[in-house]
Amino acid sequence: MKRQLTITSEPVDEKALLAHRSISPMMGAAIYFLGVVRGTEGADAIASIDYEAFQPMVQHQFGLLFDQMEKRWPLESVRVVHRIGPVKVNEPSLWVEVVAPHRAEAFAACQWLIDEMKRVVPIWKKPLTA
Amino acid sequence: MTLIVRFHSYFKDLTGCAHTQENVSGGTTLEQFFQALCQRFPKLQPMRKSTLMAVGVEYQPADYVLKEGDEVSFFPPVQGG
Repeated sequence: MKRQLTITSEPVDEKALLAHRSISPMMGAAIYFLGVVRGTEGADAIASIDYEAFQPMVQHQFGLLFDQMEKRWPLESVRVVHRIGPVKVNEPSLWVEVVAPHRAEAFAACQWLIDEMKRVVPIWKKPLTA
Repeated sequence: MTLIVRFHSYFKDLTGCAHTQENVSGGTTLEQFFQALCQRFPKLQPMRKSTLMAVGVEYQPADYVLKEGDEVSFFPPVQGG
């Protein structure tokens, strides 16, 4: 399974990511998820979220998750981009792509990865009001 | 032995620092180390139940016995995405 992880303070470049998409003839599903910063945190309006990451552990923990994905599903590739630093409302903070033979495993693997990321990958967010 | 301990997210605010060095005796567990740190940084104590503990880049349980050279991290629940 090909894997690509990008932790960046730069905006998610969807055009570039799509331009580099690779799908072999045996694959039948490519899905991607875009996580976008909401304008509210609880009841409060916010302007952005400041993301902090413990980067060496982020790399390691994502690697462990990718290892588990590879064992559970016949995936061809997974690509993840996560922003760090301030991300404005309406901007993407997370981009995940999974390529698989069928949609069922593609959706399941993508959902699982995001759920697990929110459980074990050391990234934190701090809402900013201005 | 001397250990490096790092704090992440709002634990930096609670302790007033991102990292520090601490001396601990052999056989000290992560739990004992955390409790000792709470003497110096009392704002950490109420966070104990939700605190995640790691050594290097691996999560470790509270009964992990610390070793020379360990880099310990304490932080609140993660919130990626």
